Amino acid sequence: MSTSAHPRPSSPLTPGFSALSSCVPEQKRDSRFRLSEEQKQNRWIPAFAGMATMMLFSTAWADSGIGVDTWRGNKLDPTAGQASEACDARGTTWLAPLQRRSPTGNLYDCPNEAPLAHEIGEWLYYGVLQVGYIGTGDQGVAAWNRYADWRSDKAILSLLDAHFERPSDGSYVDVRASRISDEDQYYQAVFGKAGAYKVQAFVRDMPNILSTDARSIWNGVGTNNLTLPSSLTPGGSTPAQVAAASAAAPTMTLGVKRSKQGLSASTYLTPEWTAYVNLSDEQRKGTRPYGGPFFFAFAFEGPPFNLNDGGVNETIKPINDSTININGGLRYAGPEWRFDFSYTGSFYRDKYTSYNYQSPFKLTALPVIPGAIAAPLYQGQMSTEPDNNYHNFQATATRKIPWNGEISISASGGRMSQDDALIAPINCQGVFGIGLGNLQLGPQNPMLYDCNKWNTTDALSRKTADMRIDTSMFDARIVLQPTPQWTLRGDVKYDRQDYRNIYLAYNPLTGQYGYPSENGTQGSIVPGESGIWDPRTDPSALTRVRSLPLDIQTIDANFGADWKFSDKNTLSATLDYNRYEPSNRERSQIDASSVKLTWVNRSLDWLTLRVNYTYLKQTGNTYNFDPYEFTWSSSMPGYVPPATGTPAHTVDAMRKYDMSSRDENKIDVMATVMPRDDMTVSASVRGDWNSYDARIGRQAYDTVGATVQWEWQFATRSSISAYAAWDRSRLGLSNVQDQANGTGADPTLGGSNYALNGQWWATDAQRDWYGGFTLNHDIGRVRLDVNWNYLYSRGLTDYTYAGPTALAHLVGNEGPGPGGGAFPNMIYRVNSITIGATVPFSERVSLRLFDYYERGRINDWHYLGFDQGLVVGNRVYTDAGPQSYKQNLIGLLVNMKL
Amino acid sequence: MDLRRCGVVFAAVLSCALVFGAINTGLAQQRRSEIAQSLPSTNLSSEKQIDPSLPAPAPGFARARVADNPQAPEAKPVGEKTCVACHQLEADHFTHTLHALGLHVANRSDPSIPVCETCHGAGSAHAQNPQGKGLIIAYTKNGGTPIDVQTKTCLTCHAGGPRDHWSGSVHQRNGLSCSDCHNPMAKFSVEGSMAKQSINDTCAQCHKDIRLQFNRRSHMPLPEGQMSCDDCHNPHGSLSNGSSLTSFPLAKTNTVNETCYQCHAEKRGPFLFEHAPVRESCLNCHSPHGSNQNTLLVAPIPFLCQQCHTQQRHPNDLHTPNSLMTGKNPDERIMGRGCLTCHANIHGSNAPAGSKFHE
Repeated sequence: MSTSAHPRPSSPLTPGFSALSSCVPEQKRDSRFRLSEEQKQNRWIPAFAGMATMMLFSTAWADSGIGVDTWRGNKLDPTAGQASEACDARGTTWLAPLQRRSPTGNLYDCPNEAPLAHEIGEWLYYGVLQVGYIGTGDQGVAAWNRYADWRSDKAILSLLDAHFERPSDGSYVDVRASRISDEDQYYQAVFGKAGAYKVQAFVRDMPNILSTDARSIWNGVGTNNLTLPSSLTPGGSTPAQVAAASAAAPTMTLGVKRSKQGLSASTYLTPEWTAYVNLSDEQRKGTRPYGGPFFFAFAFEGPPFNLNDGGVNETIKPINDSTININGGLRYAGPEWRFDFSYTGSFYRDKYTSYNYQSPFKLTALPVIPGAIAAPLYQGQMSTEPDNNYHNFQATATRKIPWNGEISISASGGRMSQDDALIAPINCQGVFGIGLGNLQLGPQNPMLYDCNKWNTTDALSRKTADMRIDTSMFDARIVLQPTPQWTLRGDVKYDRQDYRNIYLAYNPLTGQYGYPSENGTQGSIVPGESGIWDPRTDPSALTRVRSLPLDIQTIDANFGADWKFSDKNTLSATLDYNRYEPSNRERSQIDASSVKLTWVNRSLDWLTLRVNYTYLKQTGNTYNFDPYEFTWSSSMPGYVPPATGTPAHTVDAMRKYDMSSRDENKIDVMATVMPRDDMTVSASVRGDWNSYDARIGRQAYDTVGATVQWEWQFATRSSISAYAAWDRSRLGLSNVQDQANGTGADPTLGGSNYALNGQWWATDAQRDWYGGFTLNHDIGRVRLDVNWNYLYSRGLTDYTYAGPTALAHLVGNEGPGPGGGAFPNMIYRVNSITIGATVPFSERVSLRLFDYYERGRINDWHYLGFDQGLVVGNRVYTDAGPQSYKQNLIGLLVNMKL
Repeated sequence: MDLRRCGVVFAAVLSCALVFGAINTGLAQQRRSEIAQSLPSTNLSSEKQIDPSLPAPAPGFARARVADNPQAPEAKPVGEKTCVACHQLEADHFTHTLHALGLHVANRSDPSIPVCETCHGAGSAHAQNPQGKGLIIAYTKNGGTPIDVQTKTCLTCHAGGPRDHWSGSVHQRNGLSCSDCHNPMAKFSVEGSMAKQSINDTCAQCHKDIRLQFNRRSHMPLPEGQMSCDDCHNPHGSLSNGSSLTSFPLAKTNTVNETCYQCHAEKRGPFLFEHAPVRESCLNCHSPHGSNQNTLLVAPIPFLCQQCHTQQRHPNDLHTPNSLMTGKNPDERIMGRGCLTCHANIHGSNAPAGSKFHE
């Protein structure tokens, strides 16, 4: 399949998206690193001036070795113009009628027609301009609109591609651009001299539509302050009132636009030394559905409480940030030595430190204590990602050695850090917690807390995050080829991440530890669950008081040999040992040993065969199912276990899948078959079977698949291809429901708390069927192209359980008892076809007319029923979920050779 | 379009172009009368000597010499004219490539620098016996040139940098040649001298299964042409062999997460409160090539989370369709964003009250 050969439609961004993207925040973060909008706009002038200066002394651009931004295209033409090029009817060579094959056996494409070049003095130039009109009856469906913006009925610049070159000295200039809309466009310019230097700049905008059927009950979407409309009372509305407000809200689009600009340069300093630098700045603006917890709703709706309590708010997070990436370095490639010195830096800045939201729902203290009254909380907060800095230096030295070998040593050191100003633990006013008969602070109300002692950064043990991770890496490898038949390889790599600093949740204003849980709501609903540990007044409270440092050290060693036992047969074997040593995890040492075998066969002219098989066994030292004790209040001096014992954090039989012992068998077979000189069949079969040593946790994860594709170049300018593929994955897991509702101290599987009749099992099986067809053919003067692609994905999640206590809700129709049941199929089916015709009017002008039809069906059971309303109980959702669609796009493009 | 932004960027390029161009202008004028639009000379008899009035070859081509072909050790260089006598059509296509532009300039400056024979080796044996396999370095399936001779020839000029770890890489071990992915004989792609129309199409020649995964419901914008396989992988080899929990094959950076942070810098932190599997590897929860779940997740929520979380109370319950909005007990733990509706900052929280990623 080649989706790039044909324009594919994308969908329009609604005006609402554009409006959201440009929302102005009402509050700005208090950060010394923050730049104002104006500063952000203006910083590029000195930045580019500086970069221009730097390029006089250095060089480089994004390549396959470092950085991103290696390609700029769009959904209209992912090939960035190549798909528009006409094939040279003369073929590749006068000496043979057909295309040649790559060493693997794939047919090369037909070369482009020779460009019609003009001369301007010493310069030659040629290019293409493609403009046109597209029409689409856009339905505003996110799945159709992702990463593209094709508004209805508009003119577009499909492609501008101009090339200038000066044959006398090898100088060249390339300009390429495409503009679908303000949200979907790219422009780039390259100036260089072959074998000397290259300078490149680009501007790119890309949309990422997340939802087009969202309804917000909040005002201020796109800012960091979400407020309720006048029809709702913060902290005092009924579900019916919230539902009415939601239903009355207009649908809106949520999405994030990425705008990026970059500049890069590379140059030869000498024939051996090169230098490079790449800089980019990217802004993200928009909105996305997010969370907003005001404590559970599910737990109170049934007996014995029968309450609409808590609050589940799917809020809308504002996205407004920027990232500057820079990398640069020096490279040397001589006859004996090679060196590579590089620096990579990243600087992320978020306009917001947090955003606030109002919750409409009324809270009620559980009637388990006489006279309990919930504090009238109505406002919550959500932190955003902190500004961060990253630096990394890396150096590699490689030397040729006897036996036709090379030895290479690499080392790097880096640091990622952030020191963002921290927000207060809570943003409430008045009190939070539970009052007994009244909401007056005092010793008579030990479960009631003063917001003023917690809604200030004075309530923090420190006011900035001051977190840091230092990284280091060392790698040494050797390759020897003592004879033409044998290659020996060895590699040792050491990698380490050192976590610096730890945060203690201590409030110097109150002398208490911990934090107000869920914006204070948990302690306002459930007596004694404030999230605050006080060694004087509440010494048995169990809560998090420390952050979790996660140091990592990895040592990897492998040795391998390649044996070319005939001219066209190679066998390879690689033994690998990996020791992974994380800190504060369930295991402090994980050992993975593997053997990988490879067979490459080219002995037949019509076949290239590659077979890879890997067996891996992962084990480790003693599994500690609860390594996080030190982060809890139970580790603090003065903690007093409750009479029933400190509740177990988890079950002892849990084996987290990254830490678990595991056996893996993996096979990958690729065959390229050449049944005729003008035909290729490629086929692959693969499987990956993982078995985990876990009674609780992930138990198996298997994937298998097969692919076959066929290509026939039946004439110089004509080809037909087709593909079919299938794959399947199966993930099995087990979990166990506890019996003591959070108070059980026994972590034993099969014990009093994690009884075996609470165990359950689930399997998620995903199956995908793919198919496609492509035709390119000339009918007279008209060039016809047809492209069809099909995908049918079906996911089935089923379950079994040992007894009814495993269930979240015992209703009676979960399935046939312990035999289990299943969720509805998760479906994603997309069928798309493009039919296009290109008609040449002259040597320079042609017209392309195409029609693209796509039908998508999506069924995600997470969103079942959302089309009937976005409020149920004390829950309000914003995103109504993915939508099915049928969409047709027609386009008319005029192609002019410049 | 922000014209100001665009203008600033292109002004920067223009200024760079002027600076670099000024360096070369004088030299270009000196050569103006020399251009003559003639084909480069033949090296057959070394009849031409270096013209001191011409600038030195560009550094990138200054060391170009006739490639060593072990299968035709006695062959002599014949020069481009001789090659073109038979391969006129190839020359027509090759002329519009960057290799041709640079080699032709270099050849004019220093006739000892060949054009065709830089990559294909000395041509006399091939000229005498065009059907003899291996007499010219061929980059095709049945051209008769061993793969390692092909790659060694390319690395003569392209050693180091991104290709520093080609030897021993998974692609080298599987017998790939440079020309499986690149074809510098014509312009088949707008950048990178790729063998197919784009980097992604080139990779899909063998990795069709991976390419098809990008057609799934959630995917990175690769099918839309906004990124390439090359943004995450270095197909020429890397320090990563993928055997670690924190790495993957042909990774462009030292760890999985470093690769992801290149575009998702907001996830870097480090956060006040970390989520252990997130810090370890994004791949613990995400399937980077595509997923039928939302946001590239490996499995549907809450089951994805319940592979690890069996803490007491709400995390370890078995949900059934009764927990959906259409069920008898709608439950926020599975509807919509499921667990993430409350634990929204699942990648880490910088809130002092965010230890459970609620804030």
